[in-house]
Amino acid sequence: MDRNPGRTAVSSEEDRILRFWMPILLRTILTLAMLVLAAGLVLTVTSSRHYFVERYHEVQRGHLVGSEKFPNFGRNILAGKPHAVLTLGLFVLTLVPLLRVAFCFLFFIKERDFTYVALTAYVLAGLVLGILLGRVG
Amino acid sequence: MFIILGSLLALAVGAGFVGAISGLGGGVFIVPALVIFAKMPMRVAAGASLISVVATSAGASVAFIRDGFTNLKVAMVLECATVTGAVAGAYLAGHVPAVVLELLFAAVMLQSAYSLIRKRGEAIVPESDALASKLDLGGEVRDDSGRLIHYGVVNVPGGATLMTVAGLMSGLLGIGSGALKVLAMDSIMHMPLKISSATSNFMIGVTAGAGALVFLSRGDVATTIAAPVALGVTAGALLGSRLLPHLKVESLRIVFIIILLLTAVEMGWRALSGI
Repeated sequence: MDRNPGRTAVSSEEDRILRFWMPILLRTILTLAMLVLAAGLVLTVTSSRHYFVERYHEVQRGHLVGSEKFPNFGRNILAGKPHAVLTLGLFVLTLVPLLRVAFCFLFFIKERDFTYVALTAYVLAGLVLGILLGRVG
Repeated sequence: MFIILGSLLALAVGAGFVGAISGLGGGVFIVPALVIFAKMPMRVAAGASLISVVATSAGASVAFIRDGFTNLKVAMVLECATVTGAVAGAYLAGHVPAVVLELLFAAVMLQSAYSLIRKRGEAIVPESDALASKLDLGGEVRDDSGRLIHYGVVNVPGGATLMTVAGLMSGLLGIGSGALKVLAMDSIMHMPLKISSATSNFMIGVTAGAGALVFLSRGDVATTIAAPVALGVTAGALLGSRLLPHLKVESLRIVFIIILLLTAVEMGWRALSGI
């Protein structure tokens, strides 16, 4: 069996997809998350002179902003509210590892590697169950 | 304000760098730093720690996949065990006293560090055993001299058992358990350390990602703390993963031993101080 340098046990087509497209997709989402987070930080620093320091001391006392309802969340992002923009950035960041699993799943389906389709489906089901149970990680 | 923000960013860059090259995630440093120095409540530190584990994983993943260090098939097989453990841990959470678990964890870390100090340069096996061959888990890696060597994978059931424990710890304690993951692949399944680190890096991101989503949707993340941590950790992880191909395995192992000892002290401290 022909093997390329440093690769894992995959065929050359798998190799091309995994090593070419997946990093591009991940890098794009990661860059997006970083841009949103950086924008959120700029908003945090510029929104008012003391916003950051006040929030910092609030957090030290264990006071968090808490969850927001979806319509409000969207409105606050558009309004440039620092907390909403930062939350959005963190959500996008969290998508990166989960999308990798989803990407692997689609890829194994395409390759008709059903052992791995089943294994990846099990992982995805476990993650969903974990989120529903409210605590995994 | 800029002093606080600057210190958070600097701390995060360092945590991301070491987290990426070791495969542990940045949480090991983030939690004690936030609790001890920044005087943050444990809940805030745990949320920021989950985010930092995701950020390390995401930042390092780009370079790791391209370099072929991440063994995705091994990751999927073992992630089945981790997810099972994590879901079971989520069920059990609240029934087992955290002090017991943290002390247990500290003991496991100390024992791991000891075994790594004693047994340096684990020989990699050239051929996979029957089950690993059937699952097509082997691969190739360059050693320190740049020579291309084939590596096999052995004892999948043993590795999966330890991964289940790692998942259990994740579900119960809200940590990445990267140290246990690397240990399972390095010491039990005899995979090369660089492959183990990169694969663990992928796996911790998946489990922590699920946890982070829960924290975020509950509004349990202090964004003003987590955001600079996420930015810094990602930058550190990108740097660490770029440097990994040029690092010597031996120096990587020494860094790993130091981190295990630090983790043990941290966990023991957390347990005994009753946080």
